[in-house]
Amino acid sequence: MGPKAAITVHRSREEVQRLWESSEYRPEYTRGTDAAVTFTDAPGDRGTEIHVDLEGSTSGGKLGEVVKKVTGAAPLAKVKDDLRRFKQHVETGEIPRSDGSPEGERAERKLKQRPAQPLEDSELEKAGAS
Amino acid sequence: MRATVYSGRNTVQVENVPDPKILNDRDAIVKITSTAICGSDLHLYDGYIPTVKKGDIFGHEFMGEVVETGRGVSNLSVGDRVVVPFPIACGNCWACKHELYSVCENSNPNAGLAEKAFGHPTAGIFGYSHLTGGYAGGQAEYARVPFADVGPIKVEDDLSDEQVLFLSDIFPTGYMGAEFCEITGGEAIAVFGAGPVGQFAIASAKLLGAERIIAIDQLDYRLQMAVNRAGATDVINFAEDPDIVEQLKELTGGRGPDAVIDAVGMEAAHGHGALHAVDRVKQATRAESDRGHALRDAILACRPGGIVSVMGVYGGLMDKFPTGALMNKGLTIKTGQCHVQRYTKPLYERIKKGEIDPSFVVTHRLELGMAPDGYETFKHKQDECMKVVLKP
Repeated sequence: MGPKAAITVHRSREEVQRLWESSEYRPEYTRGTDAAVTFTDAPGDRGTEIHVDLEGSTSGGKLGEVVKKVTGAAPLAKVKDDLRRFKQHVETGEIPRSDGSPEGERAERKLKQRPAQPLEDSELEKAGAS
Repeated sequence: MRATVYSGRNTVQVENVPDPKILNDRDAIVKITSTAICGSDLHLYDGYIPTVKKGDIFGHEFMGEVVETGRGVSNLSVGDRVVVPFPIACGNCWACKHELYSVCENSNPNAGLAEKAFGHPTAGIFGYSHLTGGYAGGQAEYARVPFADVGPIKVEDDLSDEQVLFLSDIFPTGYMGAEFCEITGGEAIAVFGAGPVGQFAIASAKLLGAERIIAIDQLDYRLQMAVNRAGATDVINFAEDPDIVEQLKELTGGRGPDAVIDAVGMEAAHGHGALHAVDRVKQATRAESDRGHALRDAILACRPGGIVSVMGVYGGLMDKFPTGALMNKGLTIKTGQCHVQRYTKPLYERIKKGEIDPSFVVTHRLELGMAPDGYETFKHKQDECMKVVLKP
């Protein structure tokens, strides 16, 4: 399995593509790479599949190594974060936050969870959640 | 505020922590009036669920009064009395649209973590490890409730906290376990485990029309409640005779129950001698997370072509799963964390009509500060403990 990721969003293809391009929903990391992104209709009533392929993308190469060093997360993990956050934002109107992951889904948080108890104001501000 | 915080295996403490705040538009803050300790909290307490951290606030069965709402919550007002379902569900994704709330695709902000463990993320759950999101739980004075426009059910009738509190989890969980059994009238149903979920599975099987309901446990006081309060017709106490499968066949004319409900889960108490010893050692050394006697016996006892309904919680992997019996007998397995949001309204109606009074399971009422005692009493089944309700 190459460096690929996919997610299904419960919206029409036209809407998904429009929001993917919009400034409000723009998946910052993925848009900054030269990954191949395709949109296809999901079967039945399932919405739209977004497929991202990092194969041959320069961000998977040397630049990917730099990203990994700086952010602690591999490019594919960052793409998956983007996809989940995009889906959450489009479907629910927000990025779900918990006490353990106050920024919402982020690969860097996976191994550095906060305890699941409410945050102090200073922590909330740091997490961009205040 | 004060909250029940995990501080290492077999230890919780009531500590002062920051008050929760609204973080998203669809959040509400609830001032908790009643909260309960669940059997599945014991799996966390005992250290068998991965990704539980010191400092985590436990508790996923709670109710109270809305004290603040985010801009996106129009169905609730400050002052509303609400019961909060334990799974956090967005109401918008494909799963929620199909009433599969406990596998909501959006509410778990640790989806990447959960995917590693289970292949896919499942819904966020209050106070239930970081695999289910890392959300603070409700054994506290206040809780932040995300997607408050979807989950909480308003209580507008003159019903006590204890009559409606269990709409948060164990009543719908037991009910879903019974609903899985496809009861149309006249069935024989076996329920493994006469704890709180088992009691509600029995009561629900009766509501749905089962004719013979067999409760299985090793504690007499639990079996007595199953008969006297929940509606079991027969009991098996496996402390007296461990061969549950043979006894079930005996009670069902050799055929076996039409459906069996596992209301035990990963810390089953007893099994055939040698197998139990192996499981116990493997679980204690963390070589196996799930001790599976109840589920194994359920599969072996179920009549051919029958249904195995698994509501007991499992966390990882189990050895010696009887695939031969499962496949050759043509069994159907149905399972899942309860899709609570699917059941709150219809079950609330049943409570209102007096068809059932869920408060029958409550044996212990403690002030929140006594939570550590509540965990110990419940874990060791002291003082005929069935259900502990904490009052902040």
